[in-house]
Amino acid sequence: MPEDRADDARLRERLLAGDDDALAEAYDRWSTLIHSLAMRITADHGAAQDVTQDVFVHLWQHPDRYDPHRGALRSWLCLNARSRAIDWLRRRCAQDRHHTAAAAIAPPPAKVDDVIVWYTEAKVIREAVAALPDPQREAVLLAYYQGRTYREVARDLGIPEGTAKSRLRAALSRLAGCLAAEGILER
Amino acid sequence: MVAHADISDMLGAWALDGCNDTEAAAVQAHLEECADCAAQARRLRSAVGWLGIDQVQPAPAALRQSTLATARARRAPAAWVTLTNAYADQVALLDAALADMSPIDWRRADSRHGDVRGMLGHLAGNDALLAAELGLPAVPMPTTDDGSAMRAAWRTQADAMLAGIAEADPGRPARLAGPGRRPVRTLRDALVQRAFETWTHRDDIGVTRTIPAPEQIHRIVELAVALLPAALRVNDPANADRAWRLVLHGSGGGDWTVPTGAARIEVTIGADAVDFARLAANRRQPRMLAHTVTGEQALAEAILRVATTLGCD
Repeated sequence: MPEDRADDARLRERLLAGDDDALAEAYDRWSTLIHSLAMRITADHGAAQDVTQDVFVHLWQHPDRYDPHRGALRSWLCLNARSRAIDWLRRRCAQDRHHTAAAAIAPPPAKVDDVIVWYTEAKVIREAVAALPDPQREAVLLAYYQGRTYREVARDLGIPEGTAKSRLRAALSRLAGCLAAEGILER
Repeated sequence: MVAHADISDMLGAWALDGCNDTEAAAVQAHLEECADCAAQARRLRSAVGWLGIDQVQPAPAALRQSTLATARARRAPAAWVTLTNAYADQVALLDAALADMSPIDWRRADSRHGDVRGMLGHLAGNDALLAAELGLPAVPMPTTDDGSAMRAAWRTQADAMLAGIAEADPGRPARLAGPGRRPVRTLRDALVQRAFETWTHRDDIGVTRTIPAPEQIHRIVELAVALLPAALRVNDPANADRAWRLVLHGSGGGDWTVPTGAARIEVTIGADAVDFARLAANRRQPRMLAHTVTGEQALAEAILRVATTLGCD
């Protein structure tokens, strides 16, 4: 396992043993990331805070569900945050049709950030997403930010399902390439 | 049986949780068997793990406390494991700093203990006091002036302590280290003090300074505050048994009132928590501590002066 993955494995061990300093450490390391992600998807301060809290409480309650061999802990937390944020979005949309999509696909606010932590990563990701061909970007953002299935993506964009699948795959593959080139993507 | 090509096409949708359950199960099953697809799936999934991070918006500061409190309420922490890990971390940090030392480094002057080797001998000696109290084997100190032999002895002692305390009762009485009177507290407090002292000596020799986790800083300050009333009684009886408040900000900060629940506070001292911990380690003099005083200046000065004498160095 690469070095950072060994760190993740050690953190997992400590969490399993009931070491709550390990949870504080995880929070200090990744809460900015998780909160940024949750804000980006929900565009709602309260929801973003709830998602952030739930992600770390979940980590504390079920550290065994994270498998260091399958990826980085950061990545696992982000995927967890995204799925909680999407769930919130769906509940919210069910209550309020007007809200649909408006927030999620909106571009990030102009004043991006004055924090150094994660700044580089955020910039690389913005640029990598911007560099995607329009059809790929459209498809992947629909699926990512609104939790659309590939069938829904196909329907929304009026394209065949097979095309939707291949656009999603091509978009992610291209993003992975950009992130790996910048040294961001974990092995 | 689903064809490899079908699954491979599906991986993007799968990585975005955008398949139905039957499809997702077919993908999972295929990934168990196909190393190429599994590698590709991990790669795409990692990209998804980063995708939403295109702007940075830190969580409000108050969310930290509420998240940790909620977590602890859902699953009780194993407090003793947390403390022994905190000590183990400091041992590892000091050991890493010592690993880089040349023979010349070992002889570098230390105002309190002659040189670095002497300082480590002092630390190991204090560790040995606790080990002996717990009935753990005492590691003999080397008689040569070889620094690496001292490092090995200290490390062996620390490891023996870590192994020995894992099953010990944190509430059992134990004496703290320090010159002169050594107050009887609990093993829990004694271990916080061991980790504290190990950190202090790490920073004595390190090129860069380290700061333990906020929770550990908080425990250090808590121990120092608990020791202060008795220390005041010994060192400054006129100012003992008075009511004061310590408000520490920054990492590991908090708000302490002594005695607990006192109604009429005579002075409130405000400072940074890490700075205060360094004061309690006698690594910072009160006049060098950035702090605020609300109330009786003389009492504040007495408290800060006595805080440097707690023997945690």
